[in-house]
Amino acid sequence: DITQNKDEDSLAERRVLLMGMPRSGKTSILAVIFDNMQPYDTLSMLPTVQRGTYRMSMGITVYDFPGIDDYSETQYNNLSPSVYEGEHASLVYVIDSQGDIQTSLSTMYSIIRMAQSVNPDIPINIFLNKVDGLSEELRQDIQQDVQNRVMKTMTYESLNSTFVQFFLTTIFDESIKEALSRVVRRLVPKYNSLETILNSFCSKSSLDKAFLFDISTKVFLATDSSPTDSLMYMFACHTLEAIQDIVAICAGYTAMGEEEAGLQKTVVGMDGSFKIYVYQVNSYSVLLCLNTMLIARQDSLIEYNGSKIAKAIRQILR
Amino acid sequence: MGRSGAGKTSMRSLIFANYSAHDTRRLGATIDVEHSTVQFMGDMSLNIWDCGGQHKYLDNYMNEQKENIFGNVEVLIYVFDLETANKDSEYTLYDECINNLGKYSRDAKVYTLVHKMDKIPEADLKEAKLDMYRRALAKRSDLFMPEVFGTSIWDNTLFHAWSQIVRRLVPSMSTIERHLERFQKLTEAAEVVLFERATFLVVCSINSDKGAGSNKYMIVSQAIKTYRNRCTAIQSALQSFEIRNRDFSLFIEPFTKSTFILVITTDPEIEPAVTKANIKAAQPHFQDKLLI
Ligand SMILES: Nc1nc2c(ncn2[C@@H]2O[C@H](COP(=O)(O)OP(=O)(O)OP(=O)(O)O)[C@@H](O)[C@H]2O)c(=O)[nH]1
Ligand SMILES: Nc1nc2c(ncn2[C@@H]2O[C@H](COP(=O)(O)OP(=O)(O)O)[C@@H](O)[C@H]2O)c(=O)[nH]1
Ligand SMILES: [Mg+2]
Repeated sequence: DITQNKDEDSLAERRVLLMGMPRSGKTSILAVIFDNMQPYDTLSMLPTVQRGTYRMSMGITVYDFPGIDDYSETQYNNLSPSVYEGEHASLVYVIDSQGDIQTSLSTMYSIIRMAQSVNPDIPINIFLNKVDGLSEELRQDIQQDVQNRVMKTMTYESLNSTFVQFFLTTIFDESIKEALSRVVRRLVPKYNSLETILNSFCSKSSLDKAFLFDISTKVFLATDSSPTDSLMYMFACHTLEAIQDIVAICAGYTAMGEEEAGLQKTVVGMDGSFKIYVYQVNSYSVLLCLNTMLIARQDSLIEYNGSKIAKAIRQILR
Repeated sequence: MGRSGAGKTSMRSLIFANYSAHDTRRLGATIDVEHSTVQFMGDMSLNIWDCGGQHKYLDNYMNEQKENIFGNVEVLIYVFDLETANKDSEYTLYDECINNLGKYSRDAKVYTLVHKMDKIPEADLKEAKLDMYRRALAKRSDLFMPEVFGTSIWDNTLFHAWSQIVRRLVPSMSTIERHLERFQKLTEAAEVVLFERATFLVVCSINSDKGAGSNKYMIVSQAIKTYRNRCTAIQSALQSFEIRNRDFSLFIEPFTKSTFILVITTDPEIEPAVTKANIKAAQPHFQDKLLI
């Protein structure tokens, strides 16, 4: 899905801008999420010299910028400030948490200054990447430390820190997709309606959690407003992968064409009273619901409601 | 059997011990012979001898230990590392194994796995490599006529080879096959597959489209094994899958005490509930009559 493009004016309206120092992991992150690359295979990744474009559903596009060594005039002369404009732009700054964090942060402030000069409310998402191999304690320490430093500096420099968020990420697990999900939700059209519908579905059918997934990246586009447990999200991703692998053997039976007729429905039974329901919403998204404390008679009710909710979401997205 | 580093312990860990391909990087060289016993298809137990491939052990196997190692063997699986530098000494070792097997276990079945095939990305070069091994091995194997498989821990070829090997050890296989075929006819299913519960190896498959091999079910084997491992992270265990759309219904359900069953129906007239009831109804028959 990657295309090279030099023309700044043609950036998509709903966009995520991925920036950071060279080798912080930007291209690897996108290759793992969008091209299904195995994390180990990213070790031989070459430096990015030209901006890369990755398209997701709902018109959301992620841009991979070449690494910035230090924010000098020469390096950023050709980057028009208009890339930061608009209410559907979001900035992701990737930091190698096992590298030189201080240098990376000073470059980041230069970018934030420029971005906020054209768009004061642009969300700023700081990915502390490559936390694999670090203990849980060390991860928390790094996040605390960076968070304190960033907030202090931004206040001192009178930068707007209202829309700053921090994430601990690694390409070796689902944390990177979860982080991108949280970035993307602010760009999803009609997010509030989607959340409302998922909330009511969860409470009516006593579900623990419902996600609307983008099928190809497994980034979630929306979820109900209950807290998202990383373990549950990871498990949901693995469930989708298993379904995709298994259903591949039925490829010969499905006639291509009319989108809605081919929509798929899956029920995965786990130990005891735990079930996962997956309803395909349209060609690019599925609704996945988890019910860990299922009461026997709810089963058919959820199946019935689920199909109706999937249809409602399909109509909202149309 | 096979030289040190060929991949014997890796494949054993993948098939019988829930390792992932990445986990195999942690394995050290096998010391002497590692014996393990796995329950397979109900009453069967497979005794697996993983013979460490370093020189000192090999010498020992071919001399003092030869009766112990090569006596009472039912299956010899010889693993070739595709990248071995010295082909001559590799074949010498193979010949020695075959000789000893001829002396002590004349009725054994021999399989040779040409392993680490992922190192050759091109499909036609893979085939050429296998042909080369087939020709070389046919000449030097006397009465054993080994079957040759190309395998790798990075795709489902390993599951395919091991499914083939292991299903031939199940004594009642032809009966199971017959009964499964009858089940498929009665339920009007397009495809029915039996998987062994612990390993998820394919035991038997019935396909209304006779041309299609059982190879495609290896994808399911691997997907389910991976998923089952991942389920342990949330301390739960997988029970069943039911995938439906307008064109087909697919069920994966626990079947007998040692198997899972996969059923695919493509006739929209057949209600999913009926298929599920049929699976339930057939279960005691397979479990009690065929003892699987
Ligand atoms: N351990 C670890 N390594 C990572 C992770 N993400 C990326 N890497 C490695 O970091 C190295 C650099 O990654 P790239 O994606 O090329 O970095 P980049 O920021 O795009 O580099 P430029 O194109 O020069 O800007 C690669 O060897 C990756 O394998 C991670 O989460 N953990
Ligand atoms: N590329 C590749 N490496 C493999 C494969 N199977 C095993 N290996 C690697 O080969 C090395 C030796 O494997 P091991 O099973 O310990 O060999 P053994 O001495 O025969 O028991 C390990 O580092 C494995 O990760 C394979 O299919 N492809
Ligand atoms: Mg070994």
